[in-house]
Amino acid sequence: MATLAITRPSLSKVTGSIGAEVEGIDLSADLNDATIDWISNALVEHKVLFFRDQHGLDRARHIAFGRRFGDLEVHPFSEYIAQYNTGKSDPEIVVLESKSAPTVRHKAADIWHSDVTWRLAPSLGSILRCIIAPEAGGDTVWANMELAYELLDDETKERIDGLRAVHSWDIFRQALVAIGTPEETLAAMDVEFPLPHHPIVRTHPVSGRKSLYVNENFTRSIVGMGSEEGDALLRKLYRQTEIPEVQVRLRWRPGTVAFWDNRSTQHYAVHDYDTQHRLMERVTVCGDVPF
Amino acid sequence: MATLAITRPTATKVTGTLGAEVEGIELSGDLPQETIDWISAALVEHKVLFFRNQHALTREKHIAFGARFGELEVHPFAKYLSQFNTKDEDPEVIVIESKTEGGGRGTDIWHSDVTWREQPSLGSILRCLISPEAGGDTMWADMEMAYDLLDEETKAQIEGLEATHDWWNFRLGLEKAGVAQALIDEMLVEFPLATHPVVRTHPVSGRKAIYVNSIFTIGIAGMEKAESDALLEKLTRQTAIPEVQVRLRWKPGTVAFWDNRSTQHYAVGDYGAEHRLMERVTICGDTPR
Repeated sequence: MATLAITRPSLSKVTGSIGAEVEGIDLSADLNDATIDWISNALVEHKVLFFRDQHGLDRARHIAFGRRFGDLEVHPFSEYIAQYNTGKSDPEIVVLESKSAPTVRHKAADIWHSDVTWRLAPSLGSILRCIIAPEAGGDTVWANMELAYELLDDETKERIDGLRAVHSWDIFRQALVAIGTPEETLAAMDVEFPLPHHPIVRTHPVSGRKSLYVNENFTRSIVGMGSEEGDALLRKLYRQTEIPEVQVRLRWRPGTVAFWDNRSTQHYAVHDYDTQHRLMERVTVCGDVPF
Repeated sequence: MATLAITRPTATKVTGTLGAEVEGIELSGDLPQETIDWISAALVEHKVLFFRNQHALTREKHIAFGARFGELEVHPFAKYLSQFNTKDEDPEVIVIESKTEGGGRGTDIWHSDVTWREQPSLGSILRCLISPEAGGDTMWADMEMAYDLLDEETKAQIEGLEATHDWWNFRLGLEKAGVAQALIDEMLVEFPLATHPVVRTHPVSGRKAIYVNSIFTIGIAGMEKAESDALLEKLTRQTAIPEVQVRLRWKPGTVAFWDNRSTQHYAVGDYGAEHRLMERVTICGDTPR
């Protein structure tokens, strides 16, 4: 008699506030809808999920897995940015590779951010796969921005209620200018990607929970507030990511996959590995307009 | 023919900056001197060492192991404070226990231990007895890297400065615990405010480290309060840079040994009312210079 082995996924929390390690799911398999729903729910609850030893997951299966959660985003600028090193063959893939950065803190992804918040509808989440990891170093840290919001004092919560902030892709624009992108191409991008005004306190479309939705990488100003006052407030809000109680830190190995909810988290790629080789690939699921 | 198995210890780095996991050593007071020397050297290099599955390490062996690295510190205030729950019979052990919501905390802020002493400790050896299922991690910050990452202007500004360190938070705890004011006044005579360099030079490696922290450092000597507060804020914030950090998830039997001269640490208070029980042994240090 044949034994039918059905492995039910299991999940264990990594910290008290964010992150869970999932076991019992092979992401390269043709997963049924129940498993996809289970992952979606776990994602909202734990905000970032870690899957270890997913060695069967190649680029094509990575893309196929991501598609189960929605349309995939084609990053509009990644093909121009050398560090992304993205082949045009798989536009849904962002390649993140580092092997020559000389020092720590070069302010690329080693700054707290949520992905593509300069879009009118920023991504729902990203699925990042580790292909080559340094022997030590190159961790990623995520911050629970719902807890970051809760830990604000009441006065600040009241002050930011209803406020909106301007988000910008100016760092990409500078890079595009530096590589000699024609003026008319830039002008077309300016039309296609106008700077959005997102609420500073975002409500999660599934859980209904409030989170702090400004980040140091892409947020530039507060709508209707002078720059001195606005910058001081933004600096204060950015610092919430630094509270260890809102964080989880992942050490990558080849085959590790992290899936984060981009609506309720920020992340930081720790650049402490000098010139060691680190190679990652990301697939990004489209999201909705923040409210 | 008998096989003589000699296990040589290994240290595996946990991040690119600080922290190493050590394998091949069962901690006790009976280790050969060369192993103790190996640990001392690894401690200075990696700044915090993690030893897993040290289930045979009893309180007695913990004390004996610590004593191999120097005289052990008896924390002068611990026995009065309920969160330390320290019994008189083992004065070298600090018991750190939490089992109620927010209970027994106060170390969820970046600090280096006992910098209010004239001679703050060399290092601490912390042993996990009970850990929450998830949560209750400890983070360490490499204060040498934190110094290196300062801009040149700030490095020049703080060169030669000294700062005042105070045990004000223990004083509040002692008052709350009902310790007589006369006794607290005596303690103030025994432990007057300490003054230490803002940039400390490690006595073994010779490397420079930021030596001010958010709990105990109350001001920079000879500087106006507003200016001093702003500078201290800037310097202590260096601990928040992920590149200077390592984060440890405890399990019962995990032991961490940190160099208190070159690191700060933070006990993450994210475990609600779950039970967490730790014991610490602390090795006396020298005068910072």
